[in-house]
This record gives sequence, structure tokens and C-alpha cells, in this order.
Amino acid sequence: MTKILAGDLDTHVQRLPPTVPVDGEAPVVVFIHGLLTDSLASYYFTLGPAFAAAGVDVVMYDLRGHGKSDRPATGYQLERFVADLVALLDAMEITRPVHLVGNSFGGSIAFGLAAAHPDRVATVIAIEAEPPVRAWTVRMAEGLDLAKSQLTQDAVIDWIAVNNGRHTARLSRAAGRLLQVTSMLEDIPVSDTISDDLSAIRCPVLAIFGADSGLSRQVPYFESYLSSCRTVVLPDQGHSVLIERTDETRDAILGWVRDHALGRVG
Amino acid sequence: MSVDTTAPVTGGQVTEDTVLAEISGMLRVLLDEYGLDDVEITMDTRFHEDLELESIDLVSLSADLKERYGDEVNFAEFIAGFELEEIIAMTVGQLVDHVVVSLREAARG
Repeated sequence: MTKILAGDLDTHVQRLPPTVPVDGEAPVVVFIHGLLTDSLASYYFTLGPAFAAAGVDVVMYDLRGHGKSDRPATGYQLERFVADLVALLDAMEITRPVHLVGNSFGGSIAFGLAAAHPDRVATVIAIEAEPPVRAWTVRMAEGLDLAKSQLTQDAVIDWIAVNNGRHTARLSRAAGRLLQVTSMLEDIPVSDTISDDLSAIRCPVLAIFGADSGLSRQVPYFESYLSSCRTVVLPDQGHSVLIERTDETRDAILGWVRDHALGRVG
Repeated sequence: MSVDTTAPVTGGQVTEDTVLAEISGMLRVLLDEYGLDDVEITMDTRFHEDLELESIDLVSLSADLKERYGDEVNFAEFIAGFELEEIIAMTVGQLVDHVVVSLREAARG
């Protein structure tokens, strides 16, 4: 297993170099997973190999507290996740701007990094994600409160096992534990935010939503405020875009990276 | 069980038994992290249901396979064709068969 010390955090990283010849430098795409039940496996078994096969230098990693990266008891404000990624890029000696693919909370990290370090980011690809504005912190507080109250109850876990299968039940129980043993619930709602006018995001943004997820309501907001934005809304789809609509997500992002790459991608 | 993981892998020596022994060794190291080091592992053992491994553990296993067998065995590519439910239901035997076939094909050149 590949662990890289990024800042003070032992970070589990899987890098897939391009498997085809590339003219010039291969574009680097960093994949950022979501909160609680998620890990880099969500990309490793979906988009990762296809991107490497298309000539992309693929970086996937486990966020702090998740997967096989370190799980400190405290320090889960969004800016800590952003700093972790900067430290990881530094440790891997990746200095040129990268494309950030972020799923759900991972997309908020991508926006946060684009705002804090515009020189490190070529484009942001946000899958079912919100920028870290003040209203986002309120919704995160509500969602995390609900998750902690529900996922720490055996009856709820049993219900999930019956209705969603044992795998999801096990992940849900682990998510409940994560909220009990860390200060994530307290930290995320007090994260640094960016201004509602999104002026801090200056790079091009591709935003992908499921039409039936509440998050797709952001489309007009993104299109009015972001200086360069393309939105894709998948019909008949909820929040699990990456897992349930993998092929369409892959094609949309690969096309986007090709359009925005300095080197040519196969 | 001790497995000489430094021995070169060639097509002629590849059998189901040797590959199962090697993969069992990798799985024991993974399971040891969870304090489960004496589980019986057979061709029918299921990664998730029997060993309680999560998808992130399969990522680690994939890295171990690559280290042992090189590029001849591409686990990520192998399971890229599976649905998530199929990955979860996968048995050790399915992986052993994939490794044996891949190594024999590579040896045939």
C-alpha cells in the first residue's frame, strides 16, 4: 500500500500513470472522494483506470479520517482538507496546475482549493457538490447532526441492512463511528467560507448533477456567478451520480479535460 | 502458512494452489489489521460476506497483486467491468482464476 507523508498526515495514495503514450506532459487529474462512507475506492473502481487509459496521470487519495489514511481526533474544518491536498501535491512534487474532480464533499474541497490557491488548479469538476459558502455550512451541520443521531442506532443500521444490504449497513455503522470518535461534526460547520458571489473561483468549472438531487437547483446560480462554467444535469438521477451513472460521468469529464489540457490527451 | 513471495513467477509454475496460497498470504496481512489473522481462506471465500473486507481493502489487495505479479495482472481493469454489487459478492476463487489465466497468457507471450 502506498502511504505518503503529506504535512503531518500519513496519506493513502493510489497513482495510476498514463498507460498510453502522451504528447508532452500528461494532464494530472486529482480525484477527491466524499464524506463519511466514502474512500478512494469509489474512483479506483470507476473512473481511475479509464482515465489512465486515456493518457491522464491519475492521483486518488483517502481524505483524513477516511479509508486507509490517518484518522486524527480533531482538525476537520474544510481548510484542513484543502491544506492536506496542497501538502500532498507538494510531497508528490506536482507543481503544475491540476484538474480537481470532487464528488459531493470532495467537490467542496476542490472549490476551496481553487479559491485559496488558484495557481495550483487548472479546472474544477464538481460532481453533486456545493461551493463552501455560508449556506453550505448550515446544510452540512444539519446533515451531519442527522447522520450522527441515526447512524449510531442499532435499529437504524438493521433497517439499512434489510433495505440497502449488509455492505451499505456496514459502511453506515463505520460512518456513525467516525462521527463519534472525531470532531468532524463540530469542525465542518465552522469551516472557512467563500463569498456568495463565488468571485474567489476564477478557473473553469464543470458541474455535474443528478436532476432529482436537490443540489441541481444550483445550476442557475453557478451559471450566473461563475466566470466560466459548464453544467450537465443527468435526468432521472439522484445524488449517487458517480456510482450509478459512471459512463456518462467519465465521458463528460474526459471531454472536459481534453478541452482544457495543455498536452494532448488520447 | 509461509509463502516465498520473492520467487519469480513464471507461466510453467502457475497453479491454482500456488496462487491461492499467495493471495491468502496477502489477505492475512490485510485481515491482521482488523485482528482477524486465523480465518480459513478457500476458493469459495467471499471478500465481503466472509472476510468483511470493504472496497478500500480491495484497493490495497490490488496494489499487493501488482507488486507480486507486475503488470501481467491488472486487478483494477479486471473489476472495472463489474457492477459494484458483483465486486462485493466476488470470491477469492474468481480472483485466483483471473491471476492464473493472466499469468499463463503472459507466459505464452
